[in-house]
This record gives sequence, structure tokens and C-alpha cells, in this order.
Amino acid sequence: MTSGLRRAVWTVVLVVVSFLITALILRVSGYSVGDVFSGIIQGAITATGASTSTIRWAIPLLLIALSVVIGFRAGFFNIGGQGQFYMGACSALAISLGWREGPAGLVILCGTLAAMLAGVLWSLFPGWLRVRFGTDEVLTTLMMSFIGALVLQYLTAGPMRNPQGTGQTAASERIPEAFRLTGGSGVSTTVLLLVAGVTVLVWLVLERTRFGLTMTLVGRNATMARWQGINVRRVGLGAFALSGALAGLAGAVELYGPAARLVTGFSPEVGFTAVVVALVGLLNVWGTVVAAIFFGGLQSAILFLPIVTDLPPPALVLLHGMVAFLVTIKFRAVRRRRAAGAEAPAG
Amino acid sequence: MTAPSGPAPAGAPAVRCRSLGVSFGAVRALHDVSLELAPGRIHALVGQNGAGKTTLAKVLGGLQVPDTGDVQIAGREIPPGDVRAAKAAGLAMVHQHFSLPPSFTVAEALELTAARPGGRAVYRRVDLQQRWQDDVAEMGGKATLSTRIRDLPVEARQSLEIIRALATEASVLLLDEPTALLTPAAAEALFERLRRLRADGVTILVVLHKLREVAAVADTVSVLRDGELVLGPAEMSEVSQGRLSDAIVGPAGHSDEEVGVRTAGHHEETLLELAGVSSDESAFEPGLSGVDLRVDAGEIVGIAGVEGNGQRSLVSAIAGLSPLTEGSVHIGGYEMTTAAPARRRLQGLRLVPFDRNTEGVSQSAPLWLNQSALRLIDRERRYTLDYGRRRLVHSIAPPRRREPGRMAQRLEDWWDKRRSPLISLRQYKWQATQAMDRWRVRYDTVTQPAESLSGGNIQRLILSRELDSGLEVLVAAQPTRGLDFAATEFVRRSLRGLREAGAGVLLISSDLDELFELSDRLLVMYGGRVVAHFDGPYDRRAVGDAMTGAVR
Repeated sequence: MTSGLRRAVWTVVLVVVSFLITALILRVSGYSVGDVFSGIIQGAITATGASTSTIRWAIPLLLIALSVVIGFRAGFFNIGGQGQFYMGACSALAISLGWREGPAGLVILCGTLAAMLAGVLWSLFPGWLRVRFGTDEVLTTLMMSFIGALVLQYLTAGPMRNPQGTGQTAASERIPEAFRLTGGSGVSTTVLLLVAGVTVLVWLVLERTRFGLTMTLVGRNATMARWQGINVRRVGLGAFALSGALAGLAGAVELYGPAARLVTGFSPEVGFTAVVVALVGLLNVWGTVVAAIFFGGLQSAILFLPIVTDLPPPALVLLHGMVAFLVTIKFRAVRRRRAAGAEAPAG
Repeated sequence: MTAPSGPAPAGAPAVRCRSLGVSFGAVRALHDVSLELAPGRIHALVGQNGAGKTTLAKVLGGLQVPDTGDVQIAGREIPPGDVRAAKAAGLAMVHQHFSLPPSFTVAEALELTAARPGGRAVYRRVDLQQRWQDDVAEMGGKATLSTRIRDLPVEARQSLEIIRALATEASVLLLDEPTALLTPAAAEALFERLRRLRADGVTILVVLHKLREVAAVADTVSVLRDGELVLGPAEMSEVSQGRLSDAIVGPAGHSDEEVGVRTAGHHEETLLELAGVSSDESAFEPGLSGVDLRVDAGEIVGIAGVEGNGQRSLVSAIAGLSPLTEGSVHIGGYEMTTAAPARRRLQGLRLVPFDRNTEGVSQSAPLWLNQSALRLIDRERRYTLDYGRRRLVHSIAPPRRREPGRMAQRLEDWWDKRRSPLISLRQYKWQATQAMDRWRVRYDTVTQPAESLSGGNIQRLILSRELDSGLEVLVAAQPTRGLDFAATEFVRRSLRGLREAGAGVLLISSDLDELFELSDRLLVMYGGRVVAHFDGPYDRRAVGDAMTGAVR
């Protein structure tokens, strides 16, 4: 427990350090650090609708980050959340547009299940490559993610393009209002309950089921798990499937929530930010919840800042990157120590 | 990188440390250890698992910063934790665990890790081989410079570690349990090497486990117990075997630890049977060819053989870790030739793997999870609730920890009956605690990682998991390798207890004394075949001949 606390404190310190470095860079570039940071606070918390917007962004981040956490438990690095998220959203859109007259509840249910299934398929393929041939899943999930983005682009520009659409960006038709779980804000009681339920469920699966414990054993030492009679491949595939299902679910929630239609390359960073969220959350379910809200706030602030300062939006992506950078370094150090920990401390 | 050691001030000890102290949290690894080692001799360091031997070696090598005390090598003060200074003073270390990169060739590994003057940033393979030819020639033809480390047998890796250590012309050589992985013949070859080095004036400090080895090679002996130096360095000629073992075990250590075993009577049944089993060769070993083997209830069947003659393939075949090309496997009377590993375990097969640190436990996982691994595959809970013919292996000693509160227990029973997908961690942890206490695993909390335990304790943890009430047949691979005297005795007693209880045991060992002492029957493996059968009393020479392939 104390070591968990120490890791949490370290992470907070690193996040603060990344803020300081970012502040320094902004300062050197001639921006007013005070304005920028008060802008962040406003954009994330105090301005009208800011806290809602924070939660709105925290939701997809949380769901995809949980999918990363699950992968990690079993020893896999599923960083293709973005593509699984897109495929989930596309499937839900197809169901919803194809069955406009259906009863809302049933359509949403089917759409959500389809989204999860699409996520599963999108992550199971790299998963299968991994357990069958040992292909590095970091590469394959990432590649699958790009394919997912291209599929979305094709669908929104081609078969699913809104015929009445005018603007330059390719976008689909809107789903009927009856199918929406939230207004444009993206937050409603239904969605919050759904996400809370899913989070608790993920925690239960990871920490309180045989499957979760088995995943942990496989993730820590697959050789030992094999000797113990655990079917390492099956557990690996299960983890990939579950991981993909969550990212796909995030796509459905996005569609039935704030989006209502799909635009080429929407929420482009959410899948990758989610990996950082999972790492900052120390690959722990509750830590990830906290981290998701934090990054949701940053995302919200990024969208708000151009209103109050002359800061270009990409400047805050710098902050994102800095946090990701520092936390990843720490994570690598931990892994290295873990790998080196093969010898007993005293003998 | 490393300068040759300067001349030591006349009369200075090769190694001197004063009042060294090291603590890891609440655990005192070393306390007030002062030691002087005379140059040009072989010094042995002995003690039980966890006595602080490795820690002392690490402090001397500069790998561990001591809390108190100082170290001098060849009369030079070494700043605490300064590996380079220790090296520069002429100290070289051979670690307990092999540290050469597996994917490198012998020449590459030597160049990388033993860098001696004349190295270049960019090299050609041919030059590299020339550079190291003479050194490797000493290894006795077992390896060539272009062999990859991972393809070398253990003895060869060990020699390579020593070659590497000596490449820098060290004057003090530190070996941490070099014989742990060696066959008796390879150990003797190592000792011969050490004697030659002594003749060249090298001072050697070697951590050993077996008193026989200490007597064979050492000039002086020092004993660590619970982090304190309780004896030595004393001349071997002046120390009796009895005094030595007393010093190692300590005054209270002789009390017998009993793990009681309820006898379930003898069964005239065959618990494990292999008929004509063949399998493909693996990276390390020949595959099996036509192995017939039978283990009955209430007997220990020993497998002797030089390592790498198919023992791993045999265990894989029994455990279902790799497919067979021919033959059949029966466990507990059931056909299991193609059964999944989990199915075999549920039928009562238990394993003590070869390498406890990677195959036996998950180092970074908490103790309770390591202990509960078997319960995770038992999805229907047949085994935890009621499974087949039970042979209870249980302790006479009462549990030392408190049970969960009665309400909690009742709630958990309720969960159990409901066959809920959710499990009770409390129950898992409690059951793990029970089992580990019964097997006298020494630990602080069930949540600490397995890597915090010493080797003997990890083996106890594995036994506490494998020797449970569902056991029918145990395959024990090198169960006492690298363990100290007390732990070895404990494991052997446990195996005998299993035999008494009517279980079947297949014991794979490279320690012939152990095999002779425990086995009811002995089989010898050579090149993936069973080449000889023996019944006690055993003829050491005949067994030895069979092991080297003299008998076909």
C-alpha cells in the first residue's frame, strides 16, 4: 500500500514538473503564464459549462484508458484504442441509421453491442497475431488504428456521407434525436450511470474474478502461468477482446452522446491520450478515473483557451506531450527495475 | 577501462572489511561483519539461505552500499558502492545468476562485458574471435566463439562467466554460489580451475552450500548466520565438520520441523504411466524417444542423468506443456495423452519446476496470488470443495493466524454456495496464509512480492502450493538445488512424507546422493531415453556409467 502511495505521489510530482516546464517554454516564447494558467482553470472548471465539458471529455478517455489497463494486466500493450473507438462508433452509426424507425431503447442496445463487437474484432486480430505468432502487439494495434481511421474516412466520405451535407469536411447524417442519450453537452445521468457501472464492472473483473487474477498472473510471468496449467493463449485473447470491447463501447457512447453524427477524424487524440491516462492512473482502475478527469479538464481547456488568450491550441498539446513523456520515462524505469528484479535481495 | 591492480602494500590482506552493516527495511541482512582474507588462498563462505552471503559478496564488489563499515581491497580503500573502484583494485565477481546476454555469441559477450585494453568501437567478427581465442580455449572445447550464449550448457556458461571475470587480470575473484547449477563433475572441474588460479596467486572467495564442496576446495571457511559472522575465517584443517554445521544452523536450528502427513494406506495402483513416449527436441534438449515409465502409489522413482539429457522434455510431456509425437500418458488411471495442463493438474498432478524463480513463482506478483495459482484453474471448484480420492497433507501444528470473522466467513460460504463469478480475496489470502504457515514460509505480509523471499523460502512457497490435498502424483525437478542444509532436509522429509501418505513421486535430480537416499527405484536418462533401471542398494559406479552413456 505504501509503495502504491509512493508511486501516486511520484506521478503527481511528475505532472507538476511537466506544468512547470510547459510554463517555462510559454514564458520564453513570450506568453503570459498567468493568463494561460488562469485560462486552463477557467476552461476546465470555472467557466460556464466548463466542468460539464471536462466530464464530457473524461468519459471516452476513461473507457479507452480502462481498455489499456486491461491489456496491461495480461501483459499486452493495446495502444490501438483510437481505431477500436472509431470502428465502434461506425458500427453503432450503421445500426442507428439503418433502423431509424426502431424503438429507441432497442436500437441503442443493438448499436452499443455492435460497437463493442467491432472493437473486439479490431483488437482480436492483433491479439491473435500476438498469441499465435508472437507479433509485437504495439505495432499491430497501432497499424490497425490507422486502418480504422481510414475506414472512418471512407465511410463518412462515401457510403455514409450525408447527401445534404454542404461543408468541406466529410460527415455522416445525424442519428434521430430519439436515439441520443445526452444533449450536445455530452453529459447526462444515463451516461454517467452507464460509465460508472462499467468502471465498477471492470474493477470487479480485474480484482475479484478468477479471470482477472489469472490475467494478472499471465501478465506478470507467463512461463509460471503455463506451468500452473493456465491456458496463456486463451487468457491473452480474452484480455484483447475485453480491451477492444471497452474501446468500442467508448465509440458508441460518443455517438449516442455528444456527437450524434460522425465526422472524418473526430476526436483525433482521444485514443492516444487514453494511453497516457492509463499510465498516469498507474494502471489501476480508480487511479485511471482520477487521471481521466484530469485529462478531460485539459482537453476542455485546450478548446477554451483560444477564446481568452492569443495562445494557439497546439501550444497546450505541448503540456499533454510533456506529461506523457515524463510519465512514460518513469514507467520504463519501473519496468526495467521489474525485469532486473530477478535476483533475490538477500541470500 | 580497468587498470591492472597496483602492487598491494606488503602484508596487506587481499580483502578486508570492517563492521559492515546492511538492512533492507526491517530485515537485517548484515550486522557488524568484519573479515580479513589472506592473499593467494581459497576462502569459502557458507551459511543458510538468507544468512547474508550474497549481500556480503555484493558489498565487497561495490554493488551494494553498506549502511555502516568500510571495505579495503588489496590495501586500497574502496568508496562504498563504487563498482569501478572495486574493479580497479583487482576484484572480479561471478554472480549467482548468469548475466551474459543470451542472444550474443561468446566472442561478442566477452568483448561487451569484459572490455579489456585494445578494444575498438567498431569491430569485425574475425578480429573479435582472434582476440578471445586463447581465453576460450581453456573452456575445453565445449563452445566455440561463434556459439550463442543461449545455446551453451550451464557448465559452459559458468566457465564463461569466470573467463570474463578473469579477463581483466583480477587478483581477487568472488564467486557467488558457482556450483548451484553444476553437476558434480562440472563442480570438480570448476574446483580444479580455482586451484590453478590459486597457484597463480589469485585470492578467491567462494560462496558454497555443500559442506562436501567446502572440504574439497577451501583453505579457510567463514560462516554467516542471520547476517552475523559467527565463525572464521578459520583454517579448514582446524574446523571439524560438526562444529561447522553447528555454526551454520545455530543453537536453536536443530529442532525438527515436522510437516505431518496423514497416511492414507498404500494403494497398489499406478498413478503415472508413460508408454513409448516420444517428443520433438527443444532448443535446449533432445526430445524423448520411446520412454516407458511408471510411478505407483507410495513410491519415489528417481531420474538420474546429466542435465540436458531429456529431463525437461520428460517433465513437459508429463505436464502437457509440449505435444507428444508418439506414445501415451496416463495420470491417476486416466488417459491424459492430449489433455490440457489444467486437466492434468485437476487430476492430481503437481509439479516442482526446475527453475523456481521463473517457472515456479511470479517474482513480482504477491505471495497470496502465487500461492493461489492452483485455485484459479479449478473453475468448477470441484477440487476445493470435494475432489476425488483425497490424500490429506496437513500440519500437526495449529494455524498461527486468526481466521476471518465469523460473519465474514458465513458471507463467504454463501458466496461459495452461490457459485458466484466473484471470488473472495479475503478467503484466498486466508487460505494462502494457512498453507504458507503450515510450510513455515517466512514472510511479513501475504501482499509482499515473491521476489522478496530467499531461495529456500520460495521453494517452501512452491511446496505449500503443490503439496495440497488434491495431490496424487508429484513431479519434483531439482527440488533441492541451491538450497541450504536445513531447507534441503525439509524438502527431502516432505517427499518421504508424501510417499508415506501413498502419493507417487517422480524425483528428477542431479544430486546422486539425494537420489540414492530417497528413491525406491532409479531410472537413468541419456540422450532422451531411459537407458537403465536400478533397484536399491545402488551401485554408484554403475549409475555413473549409465549417466555418461557407457551403458546402452
